[in-house]
Amino acid sequence: MTVVLEKSNIPKLTEALSRQYLVVDYEKDKTALSVKGYFLAPREKLFSFFSKTKKLSVRSSPKRKLLLFGLDLADIEALGQLDEIMTKPREDYFYLRKRRNSLIVGVVEHSITMPVATGDLILEKINPSQYRAVSLTKAGQEIVKNKFFKKEKNPEILIYPEEKSNLRELAQDSELLAEAVSWARVKNHPIWEKLEKICLGCGICAYVCPICHCFSMEDEIEIDGSASHRCRYWDACVLNNFSRVAGGKNFRPALKNRYFNWFYHKFVRAYKEYDNSQCVGCGRCQKYCPAEIDIEKVLSEIIRDYEKSLSAPTG
Amino acid sequence: MTNDKKLKLGLFDFTDCEGCQVELVGLKEKLLALSERVDIVNWRLGQAKAQWEQFDIALIEGTPLTPGEIDLLKIIREKSRLLVGLGTCATLGGIPAILDKEERQQWYNKIYGPEYEGRGVDALPLSAYVKIDFLIHGCPISGNEAARIFSDLINGKKLNYKDYSVCFECKLANLPCRLLEKKPCLGPIAQGACGAICLKGGSACYGCFGIKEGANVGALLTILNKFASEEEIENYFSMFHNKSKLYDHR
Repeated sequence: MTVVLEKSNIPKLTEALSRQYLVVDYEKDKTALSVKGYFLAPREKLFSFFSKTKKLSVRSSPKRKLLLFGLDLADIEALGQLDEIMTKPREDYFYLRKRRNSLIVGVVEHSITMPVATGDLILEKINPSQYRAVSLTKAGQEIVKNKFFKKEKNPEILIYPEEKSNLRELAQDSELLAEAVSWARVKNHPIWEKLEKICLGCGICAYVCPICHCFSMEDEIEIDGSASHRCRYWDACVLNNFSRVAGGKNFRPALKNRYFNWFYHKFVRAYKEYDNSQCVGCGRCQKYCPAEIDIEKVLSEIIRDYEKSLSAPTG
Repeated sequence: MTNDKKLKLGLFDFTDCEGCQVELVGLKEKLLALSERVDIVNWRLGQAKAQWEQFDIALIEGTPLTPGEIDLLKIIREKSRLLVGLGTCATLGGIPAILDKEERQQWYNKIYGPEYEGRGVDALPLSAYVKIDFLIHGCPISGNEAARIFSDLINGKKLNYKDYSVCFECKLANLPCRLLEKKPCLGPIAQGACGAICLKGGSACYGCFGIKEGANVGALLTILNKFASEEEIENYFSMFHNKSKLYDHR
């Protein structure tokens, strides 16, 4: 038996779910931002200290769970990576308490060929009017109990190949990427200087990335002195003060080094620490860079030259 | 904190539209909270009390346009421990700095006749005359950002700018990128914390919060040159930066 959902019932389903959950119908083409901000907010007060009571307080979680509806496979994969990053080696309390108070429903417009490891429920397109429902967690099974889901013996199952994306394919080969980017650093590949001349250092690539997770902390004090708040906000490694430490020393004063760090963290360090490149090829940084820097072309150039160097005679 | 230990604050204005002071007044409860914690000893626009003793903090709005105003600025500097520029006229020269000597002479002739002897000088950032300790940029300033800086100041924190450009708040507001639409914008090189207010209102960013430290101005010019004329680019950079040193980056 296959659990199916009629496409035409999707709006009714989300409406029904919104009685129980805080439903966000995530439409990728309507925003530059990924869903990471729901868990790692662009700016948030983590906890507050009150001068009168001399006590710390953490904001309470909302009673209703958040349900993110409509993520595609790349975004689900990215969220899975972010979950891992925020869990190992140390748990990020503030991220995880929001994440644990949420449900993820993926809507995949092509046939799934690899098992999906993150999310609660996946709706996979099987024919022009139906989705197959695959629940991955208990919460997902609960959703499937909704009256809009039907069990069918032999629904029509068509094959919808995933739209080909060079960047997504590139991102899969994390070992090659790690080697090539490392090599490009050691060899001081001219691409870093080329990028330094065109990169605006605005940070948009990191803001729109579903996996970039670097943040900074800062204490905000109420002007009347009644309370202070420990705040965190998104940082981005291309920003001028990203590598500035206490005392004022900036370890990466040149944009070239900061921009390189973005690549190094994503493709080299991430591979060493998590066995992945921290890129799922979603294409946001490609699409939203105001300087039109195309990460796919940058990576391809690095890989091409790296592979050339491997085949070149040594000596 | 006892009364006599309160920081003494003076707020002065030179040539400008006084819009930044209006933003301060618009802080309402936050302004009252500030006035509880500091002793505002001189503020022409806000109160009758006007003492001329030493100031712990002097806020200067606007920029001097007459020799008399320049002298007064120097006197205030001598009397102040910290001198803080308030608003883009003070911090960069801003709107008054769009006009320069030759143009001013033409307008004198037109408005007052050829007999008139003008006393005005070109508008320059305050830093052209005296040492400035911190700049609160904006045309007008953002009330909330100014309140944050005041709070840091009276609570003894080191003053700093947010380390992001205008793009951060523009992206959070889910606005389309003007540069990608081939429309000029200084957002990527402009100091953020304004809330991307101009972009939210459908305008470009003209960088009234100043050029962000370490900004890649050359890279932006390369992009602008692809679709904007020299004159258009000049207009964008001269809106607030006509006389600021940063203009020389071009």
